[in-house]
Amino acid sequence: MQRWEYILKRLFLAIVVLFSVSLITFFIARVLPSDPAAAWVGPRPTQEQIAKATQTLGLDQPLYIQYWRYLTSLLHGDLGVSIKSRQPILTELKTYLPATLELVIASMIIGELIGIPLGVLSGAWKGGALDNFSRILAVACVSLPTFFLGLLLQLIFFARLKLLPISGRISNEIAINYPVTPITGFYTVDTLVAGNWPAFQDALLHLILPAITLAAFGLGLSIRMTRASIIETLNEKYILAARVAGLPRRTILFVLALKNAIMPTLNVVGLSFVYSLTGSILVEVIFSWPGLGQYLTNAVLSLDFPVIVSVTLIVTVFYVVVNLVLDLIQAAIDPRVALS
Amino acid sequence: MRTANPVSRWLAVVLLIALLASCAPPATPTQAPAQPVQTEAPAATEAPAATEAPAATEAPAATEPPSSAEVPRSKVFVYAHPTTFPDLNPATSYSNDLVVMANCYEGLTFYNPPGSAEILAPKLAVSWESNPETTEWTFKLRQGVKFHDGEPFNAEALKYSIEKTKELAVGAAYIWDPVQEIQVVDEYTVKFNLSYAAPLDLIASANYAAWIFSPKAYEEKGADWFNEGHCAGTGPYTIESYERGSRLVMGRFADYWGGWKEGQFEKVVFELIEDPVVLQQKIESGEADFTYQVAPDNLPALRNNPDLVVYSNPSFQNLVGLLNTVKPPLDNKLVRQALSYSFPYEQFIQGVMGERATQSYGPVPVGMWGQSKDVPQYHYDLEKAKSLLTEAGYPDGGFKLLMTFATGDQDEQQVGELWKAELAKLGIELEIQGLNWEAQWDLGKSDPQKAQDIFVMYWWPDLISPYSFLRSMFHSEDETLFNLAYYKNPQFDELIDQANEISGSDREKATQMFIEAQKMLVDDAVSLFFYDLANIHIARADVKGFVDNPAYPHVVFVYSLTR
Repeated sequence: MQRWEYILKRLFLAIVVLFSVSLITFFIARVLPSDPAAAWVGPRPTQEQIAKATQTLGLDQPLYIQYWRYLTSLLHGDLGVSIKSRQPILTELKTYLPATLELVIASMIIGELIGIPLGVLSGAWKGGALDNFSRILAVACVSLPTFFLGLLLQLIFFARLKLLPISGRISNEIAINYPVTPITGFYTVDTLVAGNWPAFQDALLHLILPAITLAAFGLGLSIRMTRASIIETLNEKYILAARVAGLPRRTILFVLALKNAIMPTLNVVGLSFVYSLTGSILVEVIFSWPGLGQYLTNAVLSLDFPVIVSVTLIVTVFYVVVNLVLDLIQAAIDPRVALS
Repeated sequence: MRTANPVSRWLAVVLLIALLASCAPPATPTQAPAQPVQTEAPAATEAPAATEAPAATEAPAATEPPSSAEVPRSKVFVYAHPTTFPDLNPATSYSNDLVVMANCYEGLTFYNPPGSAEILAPKLAVSWESNPETTEWTFKLRQGVKFHDGEPFNAEALKYSIEKTKELAVGAAYIWDPVQEIQVVDEYTVKFNLSYAAPLDLIASANYAAWIFSPKAYEEKGADWFNEGHCAGTGPYTIESYERGSRLVMGRFADYWGGWKEGQFEKVVFELIEDPVVLQQKIESGEADFTYQVAPDNLPALRNNPDLVVYSNPSFQNLVGLLNTVKPPLDNKLVRQALSYSFPYEQFIQGVMGERATQSYGPVPVGMWGQSKDVPQYHYDLEKAKSLLTEAGYPDGGFKLLMTFATGDQDEQQVGELWKAELAKLGIELEIQGLNWEAQWDLGKSDPQKAQDIFVMYWWPDLISPYSFLRSMFHSEDETLFNLAYYKNPQFDELIDQANEISGSDREKATQMFIEAQKMLVDDAVSLFFYDLANIHIARADVKGFVDNPAYPHVVFVYSLTR
């Protein structure tokens, strides 16, 4: 029962966080010098058009009433309308959010799948060749700027080797001849479900470079975290006992030691997931990936405040939810972790 | 045991992911299907009659289910476009989506590229006339034209399109402001009654808000349907699929009134790529056929590439520096003239802009009707500037000026920095401040006495007429909108208003009057006219038939191209 209490408490806290985030971003976005009514009309608004748009958008009301209206429609699941494109933000998000999530999830998979085992192995054979390599890799991954790594990969794999596509989610030929029908918005999943084999391969190929670029930071982080805590855990008495008992080394490392060592890494995974969500902004611009980052960049440049607030809220939701889920996973793995 | 479970589950998930990821290597063979596409092109030339010809004739019929037959790469025109398309609604669209609109929709008239004998060409109208006062216009419409949804194009459809655009009053709808009433005379004749004289034939050729669309589609499907990636115009291509922010694919409209000929493109793809480096990679590798906004420093290299053609043509866009004519010291005409002499036009254009710009002759850009080399230019002459300042009572300068520009625009910033150095020689301190457009404009619209001294911005025409430049930026305004020089000159106002009124009936005379008005502005030194921008486009050399038309910026009329 303690767990349910905990979850409820956390959810309540999440609502408070979301509310404050919406309040802060709304007011910051609205206080910035801009004229949303003029932006709504277009680049060459006339006075009459501005007056009409001000009324349509309710901008003639005091700011707190505007916020109240925004909040009530938000509670009804209505994120509002983009000032720039005059279209419902929800519709636009339906295409942009899955694109980003697909990229972020792919990068998490790459990062953790390589990072955790590599961390375990280099921790187990501290000072060995693999350890040296993975330490250099980790430092490089964390310190290489995203835009540099992205351009480098493009140069090597597109311009030189001509192995991988440079941008976008699928190629033009596939878009024309084997069009993807969006179901989930994850192209790899949608094409697989539809049995659209050429498009699936194409989508997967397009995912590789941006996902690696985005994964770099998390990869470096999880190598280092896992390595450090594995080294610490291997000095524990119970590991010695297991060795004496003659358990196979693989079991000791990946079952007994990793279970205890993974805690700090899990924390980092949560952080780097949300980091990737915002970090994808640069990656998406470099790889012309039509995701949240690109959407947000354009919104910020044109001061499209409903979009800015909505995207901020969504990232916050992910942050809160991912952290909650990770806490629960931790508690499941280690009963000593008290949910409080 | 209980605690071991989550770990094994975690490991199972990892394993499953590993399994999924191991599916990745087999994907490399995609290179194999990719290669045949390239080898298919030569194959098409080897055996054109046998295999390709039937496919080509089948293809137009197959526009509906596109996956039935593979379209060869050579029949696809790929436009790598540097910005996204915010609004695909023909009644409200007022942005870069023009490049799509112009292939989907048509207007009544068409503005010819510079150098043509006539300014306008017929499009959906075959002929038109007006009364001598240009307050009543009659258009004869083209017969046998169909919209993409199969509906016929006629007088009722035309009336609906324009009235809908006016009713929504968003975007460039104001261009129809003079239109009071649209009368359907018969199925293919329409009469416009205007509330004041205006060149309606020119207005009808506008690049925004003048598209004619199917009333049935708009009524039944609504505005959002268009933005989901559909169109219902009369143009040669129609939207087949749209991935927001990423790609838009168009296919032929089989019933296009102009008909289809051998060699024209089957499909048009707009691929949206914001990164200039990627744009360049795309055009160099041949993945794209057309693009613009590549880094200017790389243009010489692109010119040397035999697979590419770099087109450099005038645009109708220019950079002006509006001077605050009501706030001291710039309320003094002599000081404004001195400023006009203090900018190193030639040096800047040669050193920074290269082939991307030429010095302006007044506010109307080169290539547009009403532009004339008779309008004098200021040249860089610090001696002259100094003597003008002395005459005005500022022999050693000694004042400070604030110049605002759109932050992020490298060219505008360099204009400011170079100018600052020159003005310092005259004892004038120039503060340059980059603001986002909204903030810059807000400051400009505030009290002129507290506003900036110099407002640097680009102007482009919403209506292809000198009036768009002269009226918007220099006509007196009760409430400031774009007259950010706060210029008030009743004589000038009257001259351009009159010129506009007669521009529908006597374009010769109107041109002379517009030139006269520009000379007034130059003499009054209301603004610095820095330069007219050139449009630079890069195309693959095997794409033939591109004509740059600055009236429709960055538009490629794919119908007129072949490969």
